[in-house]
Amino acid sequence: MAEARNSPEATAEATGVAAELVRGAARMYAGAPNGAIYYGLGVTEHSQGSTMVMAIANLAMATGNLGREGVGVNPLRGQNNVQGSCDMGSFPHEFSGYRHVSDPAVRGLFEGEWGVPLLGEPGLRLPNMFEAALDGSFKGMYIQGEDPAQSDPDTQHITAALASMECVVVQDLFLNETAKYAHVFLPGSSFLEKDGTFTNAERRISRVRQVMPPRAGLQDWEVTAKLSEALGYPMHYRHPSEIMDEIARLTPTFRGVSYEKLDRLGSVQWPCNDAAPDGTPTMHVGTFVRGKGKFFVTEYIPTTECATRKYPLLLTTGRILTQYNVGAQTRRTPNVAWSHDDLLEIHPHDAEVRGIKDNDWVGLSSRSGDIVLRADVTDRVRPGVVYTTFHFPESGANVVTTENSDWATNCPEYKVTAVEVVQVNEPSAWQKRHRAFTDRQLELLRRHEATPA
Amino acid sequence: MRVERLVSMANDIAAFFNAEPDKAEAARGVANHLKRFWDPRMRRQILEHYSTGGHGLDDVARSGVALLAEEPHN
Repeated sequence: MAEARNSPEATAEATGVAAELVRGAARMYAGAPNGAIYYGLGVTEHSQGSTMVMAIANLAMATGNLGREGVGVNPLRGQNNVQGSCDMGSFPHEFSGYRHVSDPAVRGLFEGEWGVPLLGEPGLRLPNMFEAALDGSFKGMYIQGEDPAQSDPDTQHITAALASMECVVVQDLFLNETAKYAHVFLPGSSFLEKDGTFTNAERRISRVRQVMPPRAGLQDWEVTAKLSEALGYPMHYRHPSEIMDEIARLTPTFRGVSYEKLDRLGSVQWPCNDAAPDGTPTMHVGTFVRGKGKFFVTEYIPTTECATRKYPLLLTTGRILTQYNVGAQTRRTPNVAWSHDDLLEIHPHDAEVRGIKDNDWVGLSSRSGDIVLRADVTDRVRPGVVYTTFHFPESGANVVTTENSDWATNCPEYKVTAVEVVQVNEPSAWQKRHRAFTDRQLELLRRHEATPA
Repeated sequence: MRVERLVSMANDIAAFFNAEPDKAEAARGVANHLKRFWDPRMRRQILEHYSTGGHGLDDVARSGVALLAEEPHN
């Protein structure tokens, strides 16, 4: 920050944000008695998203805005249990409590509890799994409550990978886009049909309580346990509370968590252990877990995805209030009265030079693929930028997005794709193929249902 | 996996660590990242690519992969 090349005057050219605004915001944040940072998913969906999160942490440390009530760095999650799934070791290199798989002592704990040897090596992340599926070295996938054929970038790459695997198992509430590529479909259960917990961004563990029997017969965790048993490893849990007891046995930050305590206190923020039996509302008080805070050098590195003569506009994708993620749940509700398709928002200037009027069909193309959707001419977006959502499978927003991803996490770069927009009269070739494929899958399903068992 | 994709991922990682003024430290950052976060088959493939010339790897990425190659359990 002390270097002239990083001054607000120097960065104004790249960001378009005036230096005095940046200085004003900086003084407001650093000078306030309490300054808290809340950031949305957009920060992380760039090739330098992790660097940005480190820069945010640097800023909070430099201004003393950590370690007490009313301050801190707070990501606003895209789903209620993003925090919880990370806490439980859903990263391919970690066990629960953010402990690396290469630590023999930690691995030994799990091996003792489960009675099987465990690998001390990181696994593949989702985008790398699809890459590896295409070369034949990754052969099967068990997908619960996620729809990568719609939600992940570069759809044609994803569907080619799904089609090349030997065994794809999908467990979901609905036959989603990915289910069309599944060899086995297992029924999912909704939040009303199961017991469990979720953990929000403030590390607060809360109960999910069953209010009705699962319509498909089993809760999600029971389906997983039965699958495990069928594969030769019986699991003997009688209730999710016993799974939580196991988590508590194996995870120091969860040592004091139990369903009994959650019922008694309502909710608990981890770390919850002997040192903090009722949980820890504020972390980093006085010191960090590692001791002193560590500042990282966070150089600005522009993405390689740039506007070109062929693709002169930048596409950014996002969500609207009335549809949830891929829309598998919300498209099946009257919410479609508010939003029933994905629109391409384009600035009046960019629309005019292309002869595009409001509600015209427009073709949106990138180096990954082409789709067609309706234009929404609006000054909500800046000139040079177009925006769409990814809630409807037939529009296929992710056919256009690319394989670019964050350097550290491989989170896809959903916020930057170089594109061109032109007026068109018919759906794209991908959309025609998607329609035909969907019709064929539905016809096969109808025929199967009509056949007596 | 496509080796071009691995080269591009390694270069992205190196671009972050290249901000470190001490280039030996930058190379250690890259090697450590590959060891901690890359599946063994990805590491094997980038090491093979490096041993046959490492086309496309930039300087810091190349130094990082070279360090990884020297490790006993790479």
